[in-house]
Amino acid sequence: MLNIKNLHATIGDNEILRGVSLSINAGEVHAIMGPNGSGKSTLAQVIAGHADYVVTEGTVEYKGRDLLDLEPEERAREGVFLGFQYPVEIPGVNNAYLLKAAVNAKRKHQGLDEIDAFEFLKLAKEKMAMLDMDPKFLNRGVNEGFSGGEKKRNEILQMAMLEPSLAILDETDSGLDIDALRAVAEGVNACRAPDRAILLVTHYQRLLDYIEPDHVHVLSEGRIVKSGDKSLALELEDKGYDWVKEAASA
Amino acid sequence: MSRPAIDTEALRNTVAALPNAALAGPRAAALEHFTENGFPGTRHEDWKYTDLGQVVDISARWLESGAKSSEVIVPAGSPLETIEADWLVIANGRIDSEKLSQFDQPGVEITRLSDGEAKDSFKWPLTDLNTALLEDGIRIRVTSHAARPIGVLVIDSTDEQPVVSQARIDVDVEAHASAGFLEYHLSYGDADHYSNVVVNLNVSDNARADYVRVQDRARNHCQTARLSVTLGRDAILSHHGFDLGGKLVRNDLHIDIASPGSKAAFDGLYIAGDDQHIDNHTRVDHRVGPAVSRQEYRGILKGKARCVWNGKAIVHEGADGTDADQANHNLLLSSEAEIDAKPELEIYTDDVKCSHGTTVGQLDKTALFYLRSRGLDELQATRILTHAFAAGVVARVSNASLAELLSSKVEQRLGDLAESG
Repeated sequence: MLNIKNLHATIGDNEILRGVSLSINAGEVHAIMGPNGSGKSTLAQVIAGHADYVVTEGTVEYKGRDLLDLEPEERAREGVFLGFQYPVEIPGVNNAYLLKAAVNAKRKHQGLDEIDAFEFLKLAKEKMAMLDMDPKFLNRGVNEGFSGGEKKRNEILQMAMLEPSLAILDETDSGLDIDALRAVAEGVNACRAPDRAILLVTHYQRLLDYIEPDHVHVLSEGRIVKSGDKSLALELEDKGYDWVKEAASA
Repeated sequence: MSRPAIDTEALRNTVAALPNAALAGPRAAALEHFTENGFPGTRHEDWKYTDLGQVVDISARWLESGAKSSEVIVPAGSPLETIEADWLVIANGRIDSEKLSQFDQPGVEITRLSDGEAKDSFKWPLTDLNTALLEDGIRIRVTSHAARPIGVLVIDSTDEQPVVSQARIDVDVEAHASAGFLEYHLSYGDADHYSNVVVNLNVSDNARADYVRVQDRARNHCQTARLSVTLGRDAILSHHGFDLGGKLVRNDLHIDIASPGSKAAFDGLYIAGDDQHIDNHTRVDHRVGPAVSRQEYRGILKGKARCVWNGKAIVHEGADGTDADQANHNLLLSSEAEIDAKPELEIYTDDVKCSHGTTVGQLDKTALFYLRSRGLDELQATRILTHAFAAGVVARVSNASLAELLSSKVEQRLGDLAESG
């Protein structure tokens, strides 16, 4: 589904990604771990199409197409979803309005009619119940005054409504208490499907207790320095990141 | 700078020919002050960014062509029909007698200025001009809780000749009384128009006033308006101003806090495109404390629009316990639009809390990316964020029918801007 080859990306004069190669198949859950500043979030943002990052080398192929050639909104409509590490507060824009506009943008792209208002509400409430979210959040400004946990749940709600083919979740676990973490993980697990791939970006192993990855990769200084199965995450938790860095430079 | 002068003799003759002899005294005194000082010029600090040249020009041509007025027809679907309020109408400076006599709300008394004693301060040239040329004004006295908002539609028109008109509203909200007010400006007509508005609002002890001003004038018409507010002990004022139309617009809002315990929260939204010029000058005098003033103005500019926000807060000696905050945020949607934003705090006492913040910029890039990452195209995302920026001010209007109208007006205006260059 996603094929990244030798990806280099810069922001300003800084080269953040220095040759990332990664292949993700439909149905798989991958976790990217790494210390702060290793380029995890950059990788997520580059896949989603953030204009501040410039790809200087390498390719990203998504469903056989050149992903880097698409605008962020085109990527979204083609099924790429980024769950933001810091979801943006947009006062004055109703949460339900954005959800519906997002769902309809994708439907239009697929040649479908706009979603019926009743159908939309039913679906949204169903997904919110799964995430243990109060339906009143639908009528609030997007992320406006939401707590950290509420913002992350809202990201997962958007993901659940948009049913992406490739979901990248950037530090979705950061700042969550244990109940929120469980609810979010449950939401993510509910989205697991044979035709869908999930990329978890995380600093800590904690999230992976709830969402079991098929593959774990360690990113350090803009490169994947080690890959393995879920046991790699436990090993990292045990030995810390210095261990991989040393192993990589050795 | 040289500017076209107005014919003083013609002005005198016009004043002399006005009806309502009861106002002759104040008119004559104001005329003397005005002819002495003339229109304020750009050398005056308060008028540095707003050149009244075209206002002077319209006034001169109006006097030249015989100082005539034109017939005003309130268009169908006007706020009179759509907004929940008891309405009064001032059309090209003339009070609509029918509306005046029909007005019937318990706790609210409406009279003409010519029925009582006129009082004047002679502080501002444009107030003098207003008094001198005033046919008549409206006086509103609120003695208890007014159940329905009190609306004044100021509507002006021109046909072939330029027209100048004056509107004056004096409002007294008596102790423990409360009311909602709506001052709505509309105009139409191909020839130039200059409207000069003066509103005096006194909010007495423990009284409350919710004041909304909407300016939606024709894009070839000019307006200057001054709202002077005095607040009594524990009085509460909320004010929202919306500037959607007009060619050259200058609003002065002056709040005088002379008794402790009062709270003034005021905000405004201006949307300007093409060559529109909209200037909002605010001034709060904190003479005693404790008292609170909060202001937030937001502007959306495109084309070659030029806007001014000047927020002055003066905390006088001894006004301890003053809490004053002012903010002005602007979205510039074109490279040629220009905003002059100037917060001015003058503090002459120690025990105060004052803050100000001004921002001028484009839409938040992170928010734009967030929306695009959800599948919304750039144009749609831009429109949503611009509308949300404006909606923040509209949301504070409590009159539901007015909030709805403003919301659709703002959307329409932003749609026009989006399509313009």
